[in-house]
Amino acid sequence: MFLLPGFSGVMLFYLLPFFEVARRSFLKAGNNTFVGVDNYSAVLENGAFVLALRNTLLYMAVGVPLLMGISLLLSLLLRNLALRRRLVSAMLLPMAVPAAVMVLTLQILIDRQGVINGVLTNVSEKMAALPVFAAIDYLNTEWALVVVVCSFLWKNTGYMVILWLAGLAALPKEVEEAAQVDGAGRWQRWHYIIRPGLSGSFFTIGMLSVLQIFKSYREVWMVAGSYPQEHIYFLQHLLQNWYLKLEFDRMAALTVLLSLVLLLVCLLLQHEKRF
Amino acid sequence: MGSRLTVFAWAAKAYGRWRKRKMTWLAVGICAAAAALICAPLLMIPGGALMDSAEVHRILAPVMGEGKGFAVWHLIPLYPTLDHFYRLLVESPAFYQLFWNTVGMTAAILAGQLAVGLPSAWAFAAFRFRGRHFLFGLYVVLMLLPFQVMLLPQYIVLQKLHLYNHAAAVILPAIFSTFPVFIMYRGFTQIDAEVTEAARLDGAGEMQIFFYVGLPLGKTGIQAAVVLGFLEYWNLVEQPMAFLEEQARWPLSLYLPQITVSQAGFAFAVSVMVLVPALFVFALGQDALEEGIAYIGVKT
Repeated sequence: MFLLPGFSGVMLFYLLPFFEVARRSFLKAGNNTFVGVDNYSAVLENGAFVLALRNTLLYMAVGVPLLMGISLLLSLLLRNLALRRRLVSAMLLPMAVPAAVMVLTLQILIDRQGVINGVLTNVSEKMAALPVFAAIDYLNTEWALVVVVCSFLWKNTGYMVILWLAGLAALPKEVEEAAQVDGAGRWQRWHYIIRPGLSGSFFTIGMLSVLQIFKSYREVWMVAGSYPQEHIYFLQHLLQNWYLKLEFDRMAALTVLLSLVLLLVCLLLQHEKRF
Repeated sequence: MGSRLTVFAWAAKAYGRWRKRKMTWLAVGICAAAAALICAPLLMIPGGALMDSAEVHRILAPVMGEGKGFAVWHLIPLYPTLDHFYRLLVESPAFYQLFWNTVGMTAAILAGQLAVGLPSAWAFAAFRFRGRHFLFGLYVVLMLLPFQVMLLPQYIVLQKLHLYNHAAAVILPAIFSTFPVFIMYRGFTQIDAEVTEAARLDGAGEMQIFFYVGLPLGKTGIQAAVVLGFLEYWNLVEQPMAFLEEQARWPLSLYLPQITVSQAGFAFAVSVMVLVPALFVFALGQDALEEGIAYIGVKT
């Protein structure tokens, strides 16, 4: 009874149109003739698709472990500190910063003639021992992915630190203290007590990290536009560009493919651990 | 003999204490450095908003492709001025239109999310019905789908309902977003089952339990969902761009990207106006936010 209004909206705006798209993915846009899996093979053979898929996977493979590792390390350091709340608040601040604001400061900092290159050049000129620094054009070379990963970390570290801290707080303190009394070192306590205790949080945090990866597209698009440097051309660029070019048949096929992949991943995760 | 032992013991203890304190200071240092690194770029904003155009132009000329060398930045402007705020608040009527568009959209979405999301979250938390696991799994998958994947499906349904290019095209799908349901659900699961059981035994109806037990006890989860929602919808970019053609209906978050670096001072003034409400809500709801986010992480 309670679920009915919400679920009918989900049906209307998410599920039904999704099935409609699934149906259209087998039709040719315009005259609606049945073309079987032609749209799917067109997607899979598309060069832009292969590039975008590779970039997206690489971004996830680099971004998610880095984010989870850094935030876990910080939360392990933070958890017994008196200053914890202050520091966590400071780390959370980027959540409140609108994407456009972030993008503006980023542009000033990382332009080829921007502030960061200026500082680095100055330092390398002052210190004769260092090799001469050549200004890097961050957004138009393969450095673009580094910029994207760094801004992703900047924005989301605080979020994940809170999640890890919650996971750590849920561990029973007595076990750890007992182990410490029995002479277990830092590393042993981590290996035998903390790490197994966090395995539940691990899945949730991994899932949310992936969600944040998808959300970070907004900043990427605002910094680099619809046709960015080829290392940061993601699946979302592809979908959005096909949308603007009204290439709905291929887009439908790609939509179905991506949803199925995500569904599959979720099913596997749920099989491992219920979230 | 005895005194020598105590000296050793004291020295060992002092060494242990010193080592422990050193580790603590190291931890504080690392974490403070991380926090400072994260906050540093934000320090550019207030100075930029108060900087006069000539100064901005001079120090940013290289970024605008008009000069050699590198851009620098002054954290504190040489000649502070309120010019940009004057231009924005007095001379740009478009700003108010977009500002109120954003306020209206955000308010409508959040109100709608509470109206339909709260009961849904309660249903998942309080009742054991057939297909509950399946449905909840579905909600989680929907929550994870990037907007661009839902772009075509939503476009089709908005066309069919003749909502394309109306504010409702952004608002309605967002209301039925499943992410707030997920967070509020996590908040509700923190409630002890015995409490609802006791209320039920005392003859409270399901509605009464929802209003008098669920809502007050699930408050933190609800607040967290609202704060997270505000930060998200205050900042909408892709949805209005895809579904609203008319600029007069755009939110503020699409106004800023149109201003180029050559008007950086003005852009920073707009940034301040966008940032202040977000920071305000953030400061108000921070405790709830931290606790609410924490619920997501703990497996129940």
